[in-house]
Amino acid sequence: MGDVEKALQTFYSMKLKDIMPSIPSMPIVTADSPIVDVLKLLRTRHHVWVVNNRDEMKLEGVIRYLDVLSILLPPENTKARLGNISTVFKSILGGAEKASDVMERNVMTIDENATVMDALTKMRRYKVQILAIVDENNILEGEISLRLLIDEFLRLMRVGGVQWLQNGSSSPLE
Amino acid sequence: MAPEWILFTIGVALIFGKIGDHLMERFELPGVLGEILMGMVLGNLIYFGLVNPEYLTLHSNETFEFLARLGIIFLLFLGGLDADVEMLKKTGAVATVSTVTGVIVPLALGYFGLKLMGYPSKEAFAGGVLLTATSIGITVRVMMDLGVLRSDVGIASLSASVIDDFLGIALIIFAVGTGSILGLISKMAVFFIITGLVAWYTIEKYIRFSEWLHVEKGVLGMVLALMFFFSALAEHWFDAAIEGAFMAGLVLSKLPEGKRIMEDVKAIAYGFLVPVFFVYTGAMLDLRVFTSFDALSLAAVLTTIAVVGKVVGRGLGTLIMGWSARKALQMGISSIPRTEVALVNLMVAIHGGAIPESDAPKFIAATLIFITVSVLITPPLLKWAFKEEVEAMKQGKMEKRVEAVKETKRRISILKGPRKNH
Repeated sequence: MGDVEKALQTFYSMKLKDIMPSIPSMPIVTADSPIVDVLKLLRTRHHVWVVNNRDEMKLEGVIRYLDVLSILLPPENTKARLGNISTVFKSILGGAEKASDVMERNVMTIDENATVMDALTKMRRYKVQILAIVDENNILEGEISLRLLIDEFLRLMRVGGVQWLQNGSSSPLE
Repeated sequence: MAPEWILFTIGVALIFGKIGDHLMERFELPGVLGEILMGMVLGNLIYFGLVNPEYLTLHSNETFEFLARLGIIFLLFLGGLDADVEMLKKTGAVATVSTVTGVIVPLALGYFGLKLMGYPSKEAFAGGVLLTATSIGITVRVMMDLGVLRSDVGIASLSASVIDDFLGIALIIFAVGTGSILGLISKMAVFFIITGLVAWYTIEKYIRFSEWLHVEKGVLGMVLALMFFFSALAEHWFDAAIEGAFMAGLVLSKLPEGKRIMEDVKAIAYGFLVPVFFVYTGAMLDLRVFTSFDALSLAAVLTTIAVVGKVVGRGLGTLIMGWSARKALQMGISSIPRTEVALVNLMVAIHGGAIPESDAPKFIAATLIFITVSVLITPPLLKWAFKEEVEAMKQGKMEKRVEAVKETKRRISILKGPRKNH
């Protein structure tokens, strides 16, 4: 079995709780934060979690990078038909002011004891790049993002002595 | 009918529908009008004998009839999926009260107006229901152009228009359902308990089961199955499958998985079934119906009530809540446009027998007329209603500019002052 395969096997079976980042390093705003604060975070991050307040940290929603399109575009660019109406209200020109106005309320979550394979499967099934990790009271405990999974995989590859080639293949150097 | 010509007609309907949508959007009008208009053109090519109905199979065709029904079901399913229950809970008192009055007044006026014209109660009620739901697209566009979308009237108006769609969808049950009102209310209660409460608490397990199957688009397939079950139940109980589809969407909207499959559902709906529904509906309008006095008088009555009923109804609710007469007028005018839900309710009323087949052409003509008129008159009326606000904003901007220029000159003079001393 090659190093890549070995790395992948380890990678797939890793528990999410072992690789999830700490809360302070995650992009988080409170529901009443101005949209500008959200945009500032999204300059460098791909998502922002929205919690009720910093003490309780109850997860209220998520704002993804691509949601910025609905925030910045005028509402007229969204065809206000059945099935599209909620997007109209996410535009700044449509009246959105706070993080809670533009967030997606129903956040896709995953259990902290789930494996990387579970996370990847869920991400592919629902075409998402980020999953929240919450406890039974919906308190935000961590996150798992595709970027984090890539980092983790590359870290494992380095441990296994595998190096990336210029053309993107991952076979060991001769 | 030959299958190849049915397939050909579906292709024609989609191309014409999308081109119609595009043309209307270029004129800043709702795209749905273009789809209907294109359907009207295609339909009348057949009515006037210019195209053989063998080749363009838009009339009396079971396949199109079924696809159009599916289009309605998907449209309402999307409406439910897109609903933001949390946001609706936060709807202000003004929007809520004005929504209720904005639904009741056109409904009552429509009912009594049609009764006076000699229509039976059930048909008159169905006619009233057609006038209840508002379309927000054109209002959003015009209010934004005027810079008043974020005003208290703008925000309340949009919230109210979202809720009255829901009311309009629910009310059609009373038009097509059979039995006493009490019986229908009981049926509704049982329906909402079964579909609402039971599904609310078991839906997560259902989704987990769909995921466990590990098959391509397994969740989407299982979710659509749920939509069809709910629709079947609603069709059986109320002759209104849309209620089930809407409820299924609403239940799923509480789950992130429900929101995530929206794009797949939209692809099926707006890429295929919904344009077919609108083109098919437009094709049902035989332009020769306008030679009939009955059709013209029905169109005139429904159009008048559609406009006056909403302005008075929503305006009244706004006044009751203590807002000024001017704001009441603005709220009323913003609720005039009607599009999709009126057409959906019309088709449900025809399929459910509330509007008999013999009267269907008149009602289709009248509905398409009041939809078109409502959409066309709203922008100028809104501009007129918000004239003072727009003038005040312009004035405010002008004053700010004058102030800014004065301030700049003052600063320049300060800067120049010390230099002279040097």
